[in-house]
Amino acid sequence: MDELHDLFQERLARLERGEPLEACLAGLPEEEASLLKMAAQLSTVDYPEQASDSIAVQRAKLLRAAKERNSMSSKESRVAPRWALPAILTGAAIVFTCVFVVAAVAGFAWLRRSSLTPREVAVAATPQNGAPAQTVAVANPQTGALANARGNVKVQGDDGAWATVKAGQTVTAGKRIRTGPLSSATLVFYDGSRTYLGPNTEIWIDALDAKTTGGPRVVQLTQWVGDTDHDVAHSDDPASVYEVRTPSGSGTAKGTSFRVLVTALFVRFDVDEGQVAVANLNVIVIVIAGQSTTVPSGEPPSEPVFRINGEGEVLQTGSSWNIGGHTFLTDDNTVIAGNPQVGDWVAVEGRLLPDGTRVADRITLLHRALENKFFFTGVVDSIGADSWTISGREVRVDEITNIEDGIEAGDTVEVRGGIAQDGTFWASEIRLLDDETEQPFEFVGVIDGISDSGWTISGISIKVNDGTEIDEGLVAGDVVKVEGHILADGTWLAESIKLADEDEHKFEITGPVESTDPWAVAGVEFETAAWTEIDDGIEIGDRVKVEGRILEDGRWVADEIKLIEDGQALRFEFVGKVTGVDPWIIGGLTLATDENTKIVGEIAIGDFARVKGKMLADGTLLAEEIKLLDTGLGCLDISAIVINVSAGQIVLNTGQTINLDDVQINGELEPATIVIIHLCVAEDGTIVIISITVIFQLDALPTATPAPTPAPTAEGGEGGQVAICHKPSGKNPQTLTVPQSALSGHLGHGDTLGPCNGGGGDNDDNDDDDDDDD
Amino acid sequence: MPDGDVSMPDPSGSGLITLAQRGDVDAIGTLYDQHHQALFRYIWLRVGEHSLAEDLTGDVFVRMLAALPRYRPTQATFRAWLYRIAHNLLVDHYRKEGIRVSAPLQQAETQSADDETPLTLFEQKLTVERLRRALAALEQTQREVVTLRFLSGLSLQETAVVLGKTEAAIKALQHRGLAALRSALAGEVGVSDG
Repeated sequence: MDELHDLFQERLARLERGEPLEACLAGLPEEEASLLKMAAQLSTVDYPEQASDSIAVQRAKLLRAAKERNSMSSKESRVAPRWALPAILTGAAIVFTCVFVVAAVAGFAWLRRSSLTPREVAVAATPQNGAPAQTVAVANPQTGALANARGNVKVQGDDGAWATVKAGQTVTAGKRIRTGPLSSATLVFYDGSRTYLGPNTEIWIDALDAKTTGGPRVVQLTQWVGDTDHDVAHSDDPASVYEVRTPSGSGTAKGTSFRVLVTALFVRFDVDEGQVAVANLNVIVIVIAGQSTTVPSGEPPSEPVFRINGEGEVLQTGSSWNIGGHTFLTDDNTVIAGNPQVGDWVAVEGRLLPDGTRVADRITLLHRALENKFFFTGVVDSIGADSWTISGREVRVDEITNIEDGIEAGDTVEVRGGIAQDGTFWASEIRLLDDETEQPFEFVGVIDGISDSGWTISGISIKVNDGTEIDEGLVAGDVVKVEGHILADGTWLAESIKLADEDEHKFEITGPVESTDPWAVAGVEFETAAWTEIDDGIEIGDRVKVEGRILEDGRWVADEIKLIEDGQALRFEFVGKVTGVDPWIIGGLTLATDENTKIVGEIAIGDFARVKGKMLADGTLLAEEIKLLDTGLGCLDISAIVINVSAGQIVLNTGQTINLDDVQINGELEPATIVIIHLCVAEDGTIVIISITVIFQLDALPTATPAPTPAPTAEGGEGGQVAICHKPSGKNPQTLTVPQSALSGHLGHGDTLGPCNGGGGDNDDNDDDDDDDD
Repeated sequence: MPDGDVSMPDPSGSGLITLAQRGDVDAIGTLYDQHHQALFRYIWLRVGEHSLAEDLTGDVFVRMLAALPRYRPTQATFRAWLYRIAHNLLVDHYRKEGIRVSAPLQQAETQSADDETPLTLFEQKLTVERLRRALAALEQTQREVVTLRFLSGLSLQETAVVLGKTEAAIKALQHRGLAALRSALAGEVGVSDG
């Protein structure tokens, strides 16, 4: 019978590989032949099709929903959290020497208040957030509204005092806004432009008239320190200005998307869409989509270079990091968040220098290296000096096991720890569970307020009682770790509130699922990320345990969402090497499987697999899921200019030639297009190019390595003179030299920075037009 | 086996999916174009009602849109992941509607097909209505496996992912399912033929 079964499976596989049916039927017994013939016949049946009008409606509805989601999440393509900024940078304002803070603060004070009606502007919680957007009312072009304030966000009042912002609070020119640690906010303008403020950031609104009609839009900000993201709404008025001034230069943009990082040592402009003119010390560079420029304090902007973003496993640390098989140099300006170690999974943001060197600007820990771990709840059978028995399972304890006081035999406990190579369960923590319905929580947040009735920490009302252990001297603004339980009435009762360690930004909550889109458990909304592990089959109302981290902009992101089964299920989860498949032996442990066990991936002996399951009453380890570990080292996005396109391949400005076979191409590849190349590195180091996406089209190929355009010596005017390629309608382009103050107006007309024809100057103003040329 | 050929690669390239995950509307539209008819057929075979199948197909893509950021190619092919959404949606549908899935007929192994000549039997035209009625008589998991494997064209591995079972279990189920389907069709022919 088994042989016939195997024979049938073999013939079926051949049939599915495309062999003729007759060949597959040859020699098969009649019984098996009839089944195979039927299998083949099933695909020939004429099935009903969905009606075309239904398809059209459904497709349109889907795309509309997709667009709405996009509008809520202006830059959701970014995957890495990235508001990290060392606290030491908060003093950067001291060295502020910006040459651009001119008369703008006063210059726009006269702006009349508009009689226009308020505008509703949709704004996502963060640039990365896919959660439903809030709608914020902006009263008129001369005001902005603050939305999504998390943590400590304050506005300086007319009396100079800093006051915590209220939801939807309006601000006008002359106001100053700052955020504290673990804090963020969004400033929304009347024309739909938005500025996201990360933690430890301070900006001033120098000038504000974000009108949509009847004149140019003017938004001028000064960013003294921190990290901001800007989504600039398109304006038809060429004189419109959206400018971010910093201690080391300014960036001017039109209908584009860019980021500004201001530290004590340097300022960096990263451009995601469109282009931004960055100026300092009479030197202006144009930074286009996919590029960055760095402006060291007291120096002109650097030559723009292409950025690299990606995720991968850390293979080496030090002055030179290896992430996902790629080497990145680090320097004093590299921000490393979360103290990642070899084996951990990180996000990296960096630059690709003209010589091919990769420099990391930021390395952010995403999750720690996988290690064998377990947790379960059970009843304590016996307590020994170095070994406990919990629901029949021996668990070893040692001097570093954190054991809650007062546990006795018969108590119900939660145990977590690691599984050693020899299969021993080593407990790292044993906690007493008061009853089955308790919902423990633990998180790190910012104290918003303290009153007699309770505390507010990161927006959550926390009740304290005589038993709550509270560090002395805590004040609003402190970052604290809170542990406690959610009571039956929904009250969050703290057992302890303590000053948090710098890198201890984690949370853990247990409770019923209130929503899965967005996720909400026990009244707390949080986000998921690419690495979030979510148990299958979770539905609203299920009781789950959520572990995650609080990012530096205050967002809560889950690492794990685990279903808590009814009763006292003993659950485990670990990663181990597969040494047997029948029966399964992983990490030295023999596992039972049943018809519900899910095997994910083609797992062979020698592979590493993650196992999730439960311990049965007789001690059997029943695997619910055995999943092949993701063995790739990581993926990167690299930007570059296409120099040449020929049959089946392209050549990049870096000199690399890429074969386009099996590569997903998004957009029209042409010379002078800027592309993002998405590539992944396999475990064996093989680099596979997955896709190439066109993000920008240059007017022409750069004739030489782009270099900063030095402006001639200042001639008494503000910011000196600069060369541009003027493109009058219907006439030949011509090189002009214009005052720097007039640059944005020219760029708005379609002129480009730098002389025409790559600086050759061959068509300097020798035509017969009447332009005010040189 | 045009739509049922497991050697056919998943048409949803990783680049396309990456774009869709980034919110690229064209990419999302392409994913819809690639998969909606096959999903509609899969759902129609389960519910047997044209307009309901269309509605549920639309719901699958709404769920897909919401869940796309969480899709990980390392866990399943995109097609398997999409069918898993559809499968879960159908489970939800039956649970909410309080619909009892039809009870299985006798297990195929216990039935004798000797009273029919199988090869002759399947030379008759297999209409979709006959097939749907026969499928409805199968035990639920067998019906799912037969539908996913031979009508939707999913591979063994993809079917295992959708149903949360091992490939070995799918192999056994597909064999038993085909046998049960043959018996169900034979029974139907016997009745209709009088």
